[in-house]
Parts: sequence; structure tokens; C-alpha cells
Amino acid sequence: MSLRLPYKKYPASHGYGFYYVAVLPVSIALPLANSPRSKRFEAIIDSGATRCQFQAAIGKAMGFDIESGEAEETLGINGVNRIYMHDISLYLPGGVVATRAAFSYELPVPGLLGMEGFFEHFQVIFDPVARQVGLDRIHQS
Amino acid sequence: MTSAYPSDNVNRLMDMPNQDKRLQLLRSAPMDSWIALSEDESRIVAVGATYEEVVKNSESAGFADPLLLKIPKVWMPISV
Repeated sequence: MSLRLPYKKYPASHGYGFYYVAVLPVSIALPLANSPRSKRFEAIIDSGATRCQFQAAIGKAMGFDIESGEAEETLGINGVNRIYMHDISLYLPGGVVATRAAFSYELPVPGLLGMEGFFEHFQVIFDPVARQVGLDRIHQS
Repeated sequence: MTSAYPSDNVNRLMDMPNQDKRLQLLRSAPMDSWIALSEDESRIVAVGATYEEVVKNSESAGFADPLLLKIPKVWMPISV
């Protein structure tokens, strides 16, 4: 599975400018067989994120008891955020991944794809000239 | 691992959407909301205050496979 995805433009501020973001549509579900998937949502490919993180509203709608997850606090640029850890099924190009991910009510985007659960499954090339991200799935035995 | 990413989704991903049109759509969306884009990302097909509301509204509008985005309270570069 090999993909080349154009960066997407996001507004930079009220009506002025934009910036490029590497994104991937993904779905999540409870880690149980035949669990319904979320609708596809746009997640940011974030090499600076330790793990994948998703908006708690999506998890809650898919049946996760968000607050029952192991709670942690993370230090971000905006201060301390509370996250709740859960095992999830993450639907990615090339197949579903079982991983442990964070849910946060404060996350301003639907999702972040981080090292654990995403980058460990892909060779990722950020191409600032072509303004695209290349994803090659790594299938480890 | 099982195959779980429909090939039509992959093909859709590889099409370069009209970036400027999509940018305009994002700018036109209500702040602090959820939006559903059509499969080709050329228009907003539903809006909701919550994830569940935008899912319900997109299904009511006849769009089974939209792409959901969360519109923040204020647009600015994202750093978490």
C-alpha cells in the first residue's frame, strides 16, 4: 500500500492566509469484532505526537466509556491537557491497527496520528516541494 | 491485520481536490462546529454542534460516507 497525499490548506486566522497540513482520513472503533466504525474524519499526521489522540466526542459516540480510561495529563503548548487511554481499532490504508490511543475533550481537531499506532506502520516522507506526504505501509511479521 | 480501507477511498485520497475551494469552505463553516464534506470534498453537506449531530444530519441528507472535520473556535496554526 503506497499513497501520495497532497497537503491540505487550513485557514491561518480570521479570513487571512493559510497553512499546509498533512492529513489522512481515518476511522476508529471499539477493539471488538464487528464493532461499528466511526465516520471517516480528517486526522493530522503529527510526527511530534508520541501517540495517536482523538476527540473524545468521537470515542464517546462509538461506545467508549471515555472517563473510565486510564487518565493522564500531557504538557502541550497550550498547557496541561487531560487525556484518557483506551485500546482501539484504527482503520488505516492497508488494514486495521490495534493500538492504545488517547482521547481528549480539549483536542481542537478530530485526531492526531502519532508515533505509536501510526508511524510504526508506515514509512512517511514529507515532501515540502511537491507539498505532499508519501505513505508506504510497513507490514511487520 | 485485515483489509479495512476501501479501495475507492484510496483512489479518492489520491485525487488533488480543489484546494482553494476547500479552503473557502472551511472559512465559511461556523466556528466551533463539526462539518461533513461530500466525498469529493467540494461542498459542505451537513453541519452540527457535536459529532453525533453532524453524523445524524449528514445521514439525513443522504450522505453515508462524508468526511468529518472539527472547526475550531478560532482558526490558527495547530500545536497540541
